[in-house]
Amino acid sequence: MARQWTMRRVTPLRGIWRYAAAFALVVCSTLVAEVVYRAFETDRLSMVFLAGVLITAVTLGSGPAYFAAATAFIIYDVYLVEPRFTFTMNSAEDYLVLFVFLAVAMLTGRLAGRVREAQGRAEVRARTAGALFRASEEFSSSDNEDAVCQALAQRIAEAGRGEAVVLHEGGSWSWPPDLVIPQVLMDIAARPAAAEREGGWRLRHLRADGAALGLAAWRVTPLDGRATDNPEDDERLVDVLVDMAGAAIARSRLAAERAEMQARAQTEQLRNALLSSISHDLRTPLAAILASATSLREFGERFDAEVREDLTLTIQEEAERLNRFVANLLNMTKLESGALTFEGVPFGMAEVVGRVVQRVQRRAGARELVISMFPDDLAAQGDPILTEQALANVVENAVRFAPNGGRIEISGRAEEGRVVLEITDEGPGVPEADLQKIFDKFYRSPATSTNQQGTGLGLSITRGLVEAMGGAVFAQARGDGRPGLVVSVILPGASA
Amino acid sequence: MTNVLAHLLLVDDEQQILRALKPALAAAGYAVATAETGHEAMAYLAGEACDVVILDLGLPDMDGKAVISRIREWSETPILVLSARDLEHEKIAALDLGADDFINKPFAVGELLARIRAALRGRERRFSTHAVFKSGDLEVNFATRRVALQGYEVRLTPREYDLLKALARYGGRVVTHRQLIAAVWGPTAQVDAQFVRVLVAQLRQKIEEEPSTPRILLTEPGVGYRLTPEDEV
Repeated sequence: MARQWTMRRVTPLRGIWRYAAAFALVVCSTLVAEVVYRAFETDRLSMVFLAGVLITAVTLGSGPAYFAAATAFIIYDVYLVEPRFTFTMNSAEDYLVLFVFLAVAMLTGRLAGRVREAQGRAEVRARTAGALFRASEEFSSSDNEDAVCQALAQRIAEAGRGEAVVLHEGGSWSWPPDLVIPQVLMDIAARPAAAEREGGWRLRHLRADGAALGLAAWRVTPLDGRATDNPEDDERLVDVLVDMAGAAIARSRLAAERAEMQARAQTEQLRNALLSSISHDLRTPLAAILASATSLREFGERFDAEVREDLTLTIQEEAERLNRFVANLLNMTKLESGALTFEGVPFGMAEVVGRVVQRVQRRAGARELVISMFPDDLAAQGDPILTEQALANVVENAVRFAPNGGRIEISGRAEEGRVVLEITDEGPGVPEADLQKIFDKFYRSPATSTNQQGTGLGLSITRGLVEAMGGAVFAQARGDGRPGLVVSVILPGASA
Repeated sequence: MTNVLAHLLLVDDEQQILRALKPALAAAGYAVATAETGHEAMAYLAGEACDVVILDLGLPDMDGKAVISRIREWSETPILVLSARDLEHEKIAALDLGADDFINKPFAVGELLARIRAALRGRERRFSTHAVFKSGDLEVNFATRRVALQGYEVRLTPREYDLLKALARYGGRVVTHRQLIAAVWGPTAQVDAQFVRVLVAQLRQKIEEEPSTPRILLTEPGVGYRLTPEDEV
């Protein structure tokens, strides 16, 4: 109930109506006094009128209270005080009654006025706090500047009890949303004007970290017409809203910048990893070649034939390794730019696999390369040289991870018009979740130590080449429960 | 071998590098042991005498820098670091941890042998008091503080002399910016590496025939400087 009472207080009577109400209250007092007079035949009825004045002062304020005090006194004097129906001011009691009425009207009216003011201020504060809270919530939940500007327009329109426009970096937002934005505001937004008003619009500059971002403008809606109670309060509220929006925009910009910097740092990290990997892979064979060559030049005479042979072999092998590495890098670039074209021809798979084994065998050391279950007439459609490269990368990868003495099996079969090759190793395998990632560029298995050779390019090139030939490649764990990886390369079968 | 110059330990996980270096080092008169991992290297050093350790910073089992600091806990054996040219911070960190010198990969065998000789000399110098340092035409007498070029006295400011002395003390080995600052301005000085560059430029004006293409006072980009020792000019 108290709540309803306050609600009614929100829209108090205005102007002349307050006095009319005061008068009505006095009339009511008179009627009550009449009833009491008839019933109890007492003429000590000034208390009834005093009550009327009190109620008027509490509910309607000082002015109507004075008015009620005067009216009540006159009616009381004329109507009830003997001789009745004459206005007399000759007894001390008359003056006392008038004085008491006026004193009550003044004190109570002022008190009530203060209470009302305090209540009004509390309401404004509550409204301001509510508006700020909502705005702050909206601003902080908005992750982009557009959303902040839209929320700002709406909140300003509400705070300023009218319509609002926000102009920011070429964009414009308004509340109500269908508002036509006056050209004059656009013009002002274009230049940093210091004016605070423009043809009924009040203007505020939207700032973040001291830099002007845009313009916020609002005006009381002409249709509503009625002035607000406290335009200064509204203006202050708008100021705070604009400041908050500026801060929110600054924050969202910082967040965007930070995200961008993180992305850049990640790219940088990837590039550094690639660079150090490539530089390691280029430098190691180069170091071996240079050391061997300079050794031969400096001490050639003193070396026996075996040492000389070993050093020249090192030079040859390392040069070949460099060549393979450069070829892989080039293939990668070509694959990425789409410059790798080939004519598909039927070719015998067994021969290609034989060359791959021959090529990798020397680097396999104590690891055993076995071709098992391989039909001699298995034929695929594609480019034999690129297929050899693709398979060599897979087998080299298997060799790199297989333990010494390990066995690497290569098998092949025809299946539904396609050629399926499986390369099975006895290495540590790859975590289930990473099985498809191993074909991504620069992926390196967690089992790879940081200094182990390998750029993370080989298998990605395999996939690129195989897919370019219309095939597919995938990896899975060994089926027999032992650690290790099975890489399947699928190529289109030769169209007979 | 009867006339072994020194015992070397070569630590590198790349077989082909070991294969390429061993014959040349042996032919130059060194006894060479090899290790492929940091742990292997430390195990060897714990049991065998060794005059110079040649250490690749990229090892499979542990960081090369960790190997250096572990070795330095109990041994003063000179450590020569093999490193890629572009990893200046790695080299500086290695030198700060107690490595004596570094050599960029790839390198010629002659270069490696020169660094090994410098490292061995540095070790000798620590136990003897050489009063004179010579590098080509340059002669520095630490006792009299006299610096001479082709026999003629060169006048150096106290700072220039301190710089030259610091470089000469390391005789052919690299000296980092930080070490030079400590030697010239004092161990607690907060001096920018830029001051070292300026001082080096001044010194080169006085001791180099062609200051723009120095032959005595050499720059190790990003790391520091070294003085060409007497026998390498």
